[in-house]
Amino acid sequence: MLHSIFRVWKRYYDVFRKNLVYGVVTTFVEPLLYLFAFGYGLGSLIPTLDYMGVTLEYRAFIFAGIVGQTALFIAFFEGAYGGFIRMYYQRVFQAIAVTPVTLTEVLWAEILWDATRATFGIFAVLLIGSIVGDFSISGAIAYLPIAFLSSMLFASLGVFVASKAKTIEEIGYPQYLFIFPMFLFCGVFFPIERLPETVGFVVKLLPLTGVAVTARSFLLKTPVDWLSVSASIVWLVVFVPLSISSMKKRLVK
Amino acid sequence: MEKALNVRHLVKEYKMPKGPAFRAVNDISFEINQGECFGLLGPNGAGKSTTMHCVTGFYPANSGSIEIMGRDVSQDPKSARQQLGVCHQEETLDNDFSLIQQLESYAGYFGFAKEKALSRGWELLERFELKDRAHQLSEHLSGGMRRKFQVLRAMLTEPKLVILDEPSTGLDPEARRTLWNEINLFKSNGGAILLSTHYMDEAQRLCDRVAIISKGKIMDCRSPQELIAHYIGLDPIEEEIRPGYKLTRPPNLEDVYLKVTGQRLGGSV
Repeated sequence: MLHSIFRVWKRYYDVFRKNLVYGVVTTFVEPLLYLFAFGYGLGSLIPTLDYMGVTLEYRAFIFAGIVGQTALFIAFFEGAYGGFIRMYYQRVFQAIAVTPVTLTEVLWAEILWDATRATFGIFAVLLIGSIVGDFSISGAIAYLPIAFLSSMLFASLGVFVASKAKTIEEIGYPQYLFIFPMFLFCGVFFPIERLPETVGFVVKLLPLTGVAVTARSFLLKTPVDWLSVSASIVWLVVFVPLSISSMKKRLVK
Repeated sequence: MEKALNVRHLVKEYKMPKGPAFRAVNDISFEINQGECFGLLGPNGAGKSTTMHCVTGFYPANSGSIEIMGRDVSQDPKSARQQLGVCHQEETLDNDFSLIQQLESYAGYFGFAKEKALSRGWELLERFELKDRAHQLSEHLSGGMRRKFQVLRAMLTEPKLVILDEPSTGLDPEARRTLWNEINLFKSNGGAILLSTHYMDEAQRLCDRVAIISKGKIMDCRSPQELIAHYIGLDPIEEEIRPGYKLTRPPNLEDVYLKVTGQRLGGSV
């Protein structure tokens, strides 16, 4: 099974390598723009803030938040839009799934590739955060497997959305109603303790919150909010198999 | 000799949003010998493509069994598909890669080494008259060339059984001849073919046996010559091909197709 998954994953990697300039631009530019705009721009206006009882430089706080945001955007959009294109227009899934590679293996490879690509983007953010001295280098290295798992979570959300969308435009609904609100309210830009208590509780259960909390705990040595981390683990454990079964249901009559 | 394909009492139903399930394939059985081309003929919606999807294992059957070279498609899909090449009715080419890269990548799913894949790929590209396009993306080819390439890809891994779902759609006469030659060569090397086509002349030329399928059931299954003799007879047919212009011609498979599907469906043709 692993060999078959790797063969399909390599197909994605080969496409990425073949269109390297496009791949680099779409993977690295966006997180770096956020990093500089919010980290240095907004960070220069807000020197420090209190986060879970720890005083942090705002730039470091934002940098760690952008790690989560990078996982969210790259993995989700690759899974949702890329997955839809491969399923609906290119029929890549259907073509491979009549070879000795099964559809389940193809879909695992899809999620793993989407997560890989997001991890490339996260790596760039970790590198810059470490170079400027905001992240602990050992923490950044230790965080990489967590970055991959976090990206798998958002990739599976993307594949799930692709499996439910009747047209590519329909992906816009979860994008604007779920992904963008998470980006704004799940602790990337400000501590969620600033939100009203009920809203804050709901936000803690959304997947990006736990991802951002985990990133900060590794990179900035801040305390862990176990409720939000547990919620993210539940999202991961539920949505990876759910997205695969949902896509199979879509394709297999 | 082992059968290339053995389909027994295949039933496939589709769940409908409202109402009972739709039975697209209704208890059909057939087998294909090695070195044989077996045609499925029938109107749109008759169950041909559904049957083919079940044979690939992509659609699970509700009941019945399917074996490719003795390997059960539902129990051992990887091993069964190792013997299989598929040319879908829809285009499923990997437009991110050039033709030769696609072949290398596709063969990799079958565990082919790169060198073997490339050597076989170049050989087929030459035979299918696509060698000079090898480094182009498939989206830059004409529709007919893409279709030919999809058949080529199905034959790449030296499968024992190839499924060709309307392979010559969109091909010009010369390209069709090239394709027919390749299909005949594949057959003469012991390969088996499950062919679906709307071109009766193609079925008559290529198929050793033909099953006429309608409403998910096989109405009859014989060689094209036997079907013609049984349903139409051997006498020449006079046909008015346009007002005032009559032509006398030998009976063909199209006459059989129209008679069997048209009459049994309850309408005159």
